Amino acid sequence: MKFRVFRYNPDEDEQPYLQDFEVAAERGMMLRDALLQIKTQDEGFSFRHSCGEGVCGSDGVNVNGENKLACITPLAELKEPVVVRPFPGRPVIRDLVVDMSQFFQQYRAVQPWLIRKDPLPEHEILQSPEERERLDGLYECILCGCCSTSCPSFWWNPDRFHGPQALLTAWRFLADSRDQAADERLDELEGPYKLFRCHTIMSCVEACPKHLNPTRAIGNIKNLMLKKSI
Amino acid sequence: MSRRAAGLKAWIWQRLTAIYLGLFILFLLGRLVLDPPLHVAEWRGWLGGPLVSTASLLFVFALLLHAWVGVRDILMDYVRPIALRAGLMSLVIVILLGCGLWAVEILIVARVG
Ligand code: SF4
Ligand code: SF4
Ligand code: FES
Repeated sequence: MKFRVFRYNPDEDEQPYLQDFEVAAERGMMLRDALLQIKTQDEGFSFRHSCGEGVCGSDGVNVNGENKLACITPLAELKEPVVVRPFPGRPVIRDLVVDMSQFFQQYRAVQPWLIRKDPLPEHEILQSPEERERLDGLYECILCGCCSTSCPSFWWNPDRFHGPQALLTAWRFLADSRDQAADERLDELEGPYKLFRCHTIMSCVEACPKHLNPTRAIGNIKNLMLKKSI
Repeated sequence: MSRRAAGLKAWIWQRLTAIYLGLFILFLLGRLVLDPPLHVAEWRGWLGGPLVSTASLLFVFALLLHAWVGVRDILMDYVRPIALRAGLMSLVIVILLGCGLWAVEILIVARVG
């Protein structure tokens, strides 16, 4: 199977380039297995990966133009030559390894933890099954970054727009019955950039390997903001 | 409104004007299809009626506001240098205001003439 892989070593290469590789594909092989084979052909080749089962979120790459997790992308689904690039819009550290700091800064900025004003009870804070259900489709995010790095608004303003991942997380805590900082969270999202750079393009929904829907979460935030301001 | 709402306001105006634009266009198309005016005088008379001319004026206003939010978004996304962005935004405001005044003039003429 034919592969064209993005290569760039800032210490040696003046320009990034695409390098061709040939990989012996077997039934059931995932893209990550192919990348590992490529690494045995060229030890200098770098990419991130860990769990191998779509859980850790470390091996997001751009395959034939779409952001995917290499470990759960079957080779059988890919058209040849398979063009593998790093996430678009991120500074390249080496080959497929990119700098995700801005992505994590945006995550941190939405305060991804429960904020309680009441004194904490001795036991757990209980939720009804319905309250718990509101978190479905939100808590499953593995922070792989496939969504934010496919979002044009995040490409243009990664420093000021939170991006779909962080906004999904913002909604995850706004929707949590145990959280007591909704007003502060909403105030924090005000202004034209952090939330409102989202133009509902929905690339994020298409990219998410966990089939989450950041666009819907963003819509929910906007509606809640509207409700609270009238 | 307790919030500063710079982002929220623009978003709400975009939605509200979009709804009005859609409704008015349907109304206009409906009239053109169901009861097409046969000559200029009839068209003018219709447009000059108090209800229709007020609705049209509101339409122009909504259109300009909608255009402004959209163009502002594009400029905020793509034009990073602040001076250039401010310049372009001012230019757009002048053009949109010009269009608005012109449309008002047309409606007044339709009413008076
Ligand atoms: S819906 Fe919003 S967050 Fe998702 S890709 Fe589009 S602009 Fe980005
Ligand atoms: S929302 Fe989906 S694509 Fe985005 S970081 Fe979470 S799991 Fe990855
Ligand atoms: S290696 Fe962990 S998600 Fe792919």
